[in-house]
Amino acid sequence: MQSQVVYPVQYIFIALFLLQINFSTAAIRTTNQNNNEQDYQDHNQLSQRLANLSKNHPSLANLQSLTKTDGSKDIWLLTIGKGDIANKPALAVVGGVEGDHLLGSELAVQFAEKLLNDPAFESERDLLNEISFYIFPDMSPDAREQYFMPIRYERRGNARPTNLDRDGKVGEDPYDDLNGDGLITMMRIKDPTGKWMRHPDDERIMVRARPEKGEKGNYLLFTEGLDQDKDGQFNEDGEEGVFFNRNFTFNYPVFTTGTGAHAVSEKESRAIADFLFQAKNVFAVITFGPANNLTKPLTYNDKDANTKIFTGWKEHDIKINQQLSNLYKTHVGKQAPKAEPGQAGDFFQWAYFHYGRFSFSTQGWSLPETENDESDTPASQELNLIRWAEDHDVSDIFVPWQSIDHPDFPGKEVEVGGIAPFVMKNPPYTMVDSIALKHASFILEMAALRPKIDLVNIETEKLGTNLHRITAEVMNTGSFPTASQSGEVIRWVQKTVLRINLNESQNLVSGKPVEVLGAIRGHSALKRSWLIRGKGSLNIRVGSEASGFREVQISL
Amino acid sequence: MSDFKLALLFFLSLIALSVNAQQADGHALEEFFKASGSPVNPKVQISWNRYHTNEGLLDIYLKMAKTYPELVRLESIGKSHEGRDLWLLTITNHSNKPHHEKPGFWIDGNIHANEIQAAEVSLYTAWYLVENYHSNDFITQLLDEKAFYILPVMNPDGRENYMNKPNTANAPRSGTMPLDDDGDGVVGEDGFDDLNGDGHITQMRRQNPFGLYREDPDDARRLIRVKQGEFGEWELLGYEGYDRDVDGRINEDRDVGYYDHNRDWGWNWQPDYVQRGAYHYPFSLPETRAVRDFVLAHPNISGALTHHNTGGMFLRGPGVEQDQEYYLRDDLRVYDALGQMGEKLVPGYNYLVSYKDLYTVYGGQRDWFHLMRGAYTFTVELFSRYLLFHEKPLRRSRGFSDDYYTFDKHLLFEDAFVPWEEYFHPQFGKIQIGGFKKNYIRVHPGFMLEQDAHRIMAFSLYHAYHTPQLEITELKSKDLGGGQFEVTAVITNTRMIPTHSSINLEYHIDPPNYVEIIGPKVLAGMIVIDEDLNIVEEQLTNPEKLEVENISGMSIATVRWIIDGKENIGVLLNSVKGGKYSKVFED
Repeated sequence: MQSQVVYPVQYIFIALFLLQINFSTAAIRTTNQNNNEQDYQDHNQLSQRLANLSKNHPSLANLQSLTKTDGSKDIWLLTIGKGDIANKPALAVVGGVEGDHLLGSELAVQFAEKLLNDPAFESERDLLNEISFYIFPDMSPDAREQYFMPIRYERRGNARPTNLDRDGKVGEDPYDDLNGDGLITMMRIKDPTGKWMRHPDDERIMVRARPEKGEKGNYLLFTEGLDQDKDGQFNEDGEEGVFFNRNFTFNYPVFTTGTGAHAVSEKESRAIADFLFQAKNVFAVITFGPANNLTKPLTYNDKDANTKIFTGWKEHDIKINQQLSNLYKTHVGKQAPKAEPGQAGDFFQWAYFHYGRFSFSTQGWSLPETENDESDTPASQELNLIRWAEDHDVSDIFVPWQSIDHPDFPGKEVEVGGIAPFVMKNPPYTMVDSIALKHASFILEMAALRPKIDLVNIETEKLGTNLHRITAEVMNTGSFPTASQSGEVIRWVQKTVLRINLNESQNLVSGKPVEVLGAIRGHSALKRSWLIRGKGSLNIRVGSEASGFREVQISL
Repeated sequence: MSDFKLALLFFLSLIALSVNAQQADGHALEEFFKASGSPVNPKVQISWNRYHTNEGLLDIYLKMAKTYPELVRLESIGKSHEGRDLWLLTITNHSNKPHHEKPGFWIDGNIHANEIQAAEVSLYTAWYLVENYHSNDFITQLLDEKAFYILPVMNPDGRENYMNKPNTANAPRSGTMPLDDDGDGVVGEDGFDDLNGDGHITQMRRQNPFGLYREDPDDARRLIRVKQGEFGEWELLGYEGYDRDVDGRINEDRDVGYYDHNRDWGWNWQPDYVQRGAYHYPFSLPETRAVRDFVLAHPNISGALTHHNTGGMFLRGPGVEQDQEYYLRDDLRVYDALGQMGEKLVPGYNYLVSYKDLYTVYGGQRDWFHLMRGAYTFTVELFSRYLLFHEKPLRRSRGFSDDYYTFDKHLLFEDAFVPWEEYFHPQFGKIQIGGFKKNYIRVHPGFMLEQDAHRIMAFSLYHAYHTPQLEITELKSKDLGGGQFEVTAVITNTRMIPTHSSINLEYHIDPPNYVEIIGPKVLAGMIVIDEDLNIVEEQLTNPEKLEVENISGMSIATVRWIIDGKENIGVLLNSVKGGKYSKVFED
């Protein structure tokens, strides 16, 4: 006799449910594939574009994989430059620090593409004789890929299995696509205890009721899903692991969602940190991410900048930030995205405070602020987005509310819908090219401000037989200082070294044979002199990897 | 001889051996008579009055693992910067329960290169445990209940360098990764120079009519400062070396870079400008990363000791003042009890709070163990000046204490001192070189090592014994009628340390203790808060597997289920730090 397997009713329900998801997913996938030119691209497609760059420009571009993530995706570094790259200044350009910020990776890749391919940047390419670019286009490939997966949601965490809600169980309550549209949106449940209500100006939008204004909530609001572990919370522990942009050492948020077992715990965060620490030539880092200190420069705060563990930018570095912000606005103009502070444990602040380099960050795009609405309800971002989308003919940003049966709310009116994932932080793909162009031209102009070391006003004075005094000025002819003020205190930032190398018949009567110099500001100089007995040739060498090296021969 | 006779001989000799073993206590062996508290004829013979190279240590590990396969597991948990194995011993009764299901106790040593006796002290514990298992009831119980994870040398490159290269008592502290310590763009170009070639870096002095030092009339080897307003005959020129890179400084960029493995851990890590010695980010060194991986994979580690020198201290955290908020009353009660016992067991050692009584340390190992892994941990600073003459030294009486000179002269017969000898220095001209050897001041003199190792071990065993030990002390049922029963289980933690420290509870470093009933259909489950007054808290989801947040030291937790039917009931207790246990219901 054959044994018979009996499935409980609810299992059959779930099985049917999963089938339904698969069908709708297939539909969405097809649409995506048809619209490659019109939409953001997945890891493989970005990788292909990067590979093409290095293939087509073998003398200028080199692509390497620093590591593979837990999700088996490459962490790419595209180096653009020529000659002795390690010994001349470099800029690091970093994208994808947040997995839900598709634009960031695209801006980083397009920067490389425009620099190497765009006829408009023909003359800027000469800059590559003097400066190089380290481009890390996608630091959150595991999370970013969620945009392209059967169930699309804004994901920040990598593929490391993680117990996000710290309950001892790993990934036990992920999102569920209840309406089968392939998108994770919100669900609202009509309930007298709810704290949410429909926005008076647009009933599609949910806002928190303000009891002090006589408003009454009548909806519960959650992200779309089932309470799979029956702990009363929805989707609090899904597939996501550690967030790249929360995994760094400055102001590291311990024991917080997505921050990992400790700072720099992940393969991708270690890979970029390890590379950058050995890359002594990097003088500044530009990050495409949620922080923005370019639309508005940071402000100086004496106390924050000078406490033992300083948390504010140093005074002179702020001036450079102001200069760069002005430059940014000349390129990006009115469309400059909103100024935003850094977050605890992020990459942008790490680059300044612990890596000791100038660090600039921009989202590249943010939803423009619109006029306040007529009612006294707070204008929500969602409302802004809908209106902006209407004005700009942008579609597919809202999923209409749709009734569903929800097993956790039997007999209740449950609807799924709301703002589509990713659209709040990422403009329609058709806008990306023009954003990328502006940012590329900004980066190139910024690069031209690099620190540049020189030896000027070299004088040799004969004081007597075989006795000479040599005087020289060490000058930084660039705009950036040879190091940031934070870099002056960070041990791993190479300082400018001035060295006089005598021949065997000479000896130094006065002056230092080797001197480690403090940072030299842009367009400034330091004067040094040496008293030397003997004759013949000698040389003076000065510089650092980040400001370049300069060497002169002198004959006595 | 026939096989039978051979076998008989072998059998008889076994009997003879066991008779000897039994007689060891109270009667003389052929050659030995037992001293109390020490194995009379240990199978693994170790001289505890000398230090071992990495090779020497490995030889002992292998002997221990071979001699006591049921108690010792040897593994390499990673490689050092130079590719040396990081050897770890797991010591427990491996046959009664997997080690990871027992409360674990971590011991390490020699994280700092020059703190070499930390390895021997750690090894002594491992050795003592295995040599006394079976013959001592307490040790037997300990290895039946607990698992010891012992890493005698965390920094084998540093140990090798300290022993084999010319060094001082204070150097190197780090591993052997070269760094550009003076920031001039050249790495390691101006290290120590062993000018007299004796393997020790000692002092340089020069005769100078305007010097500020003169010979101590009590011990001519020693220079002391003259009084204000006087000139002496000598000037001190620092540690042996010359200005190799002619930058005006001596020994400022050693072959081995300055960094500190004990500033490289994941809790409250700060960069080098805040915390000197920090490297790039937490666990950016291969040795600490290997330990991290092991400790993360062994959350049963509930207590730990990390051995250092010097100063005679049991240091608890935090290393940083602001982190005090995470050490709550229940934690401090445990630390105080352990620390005070330590002070008693090891005379001259003090129980101290790191940030307050010593100095601030960001990113230290001990704080990571306590604050991110939930393990009660001490840093032990081995050896102190007190041990020289069992006197509290007079406070900064005569500069660098003359106790060390007296001790060296009368107890070590000047073995710890390199006599001053003339040398022609390329930059200073005629000088003298001499002073204490690198194996003095911080490292135990040979004859003192065994006693301290034993006392420190006694402290660690006391600590290990008090890691949480759970027992299902009661399992009872009550007939509620209609086929329903109420089953109540009482779990007792018979030791001082709770299953969850305060920070573990607050941030759920470990899951709760699970008490699971196996067998019957469970209708409801609850934690009993007060059995007498029937105050209970029902667990609405998964009532079979009750979650007990914490079981404090020396206390009980009571849980209850309402079940349908009463056959084949078992209870499983699973506590990450308190161990795994089960009990079958017997009516």
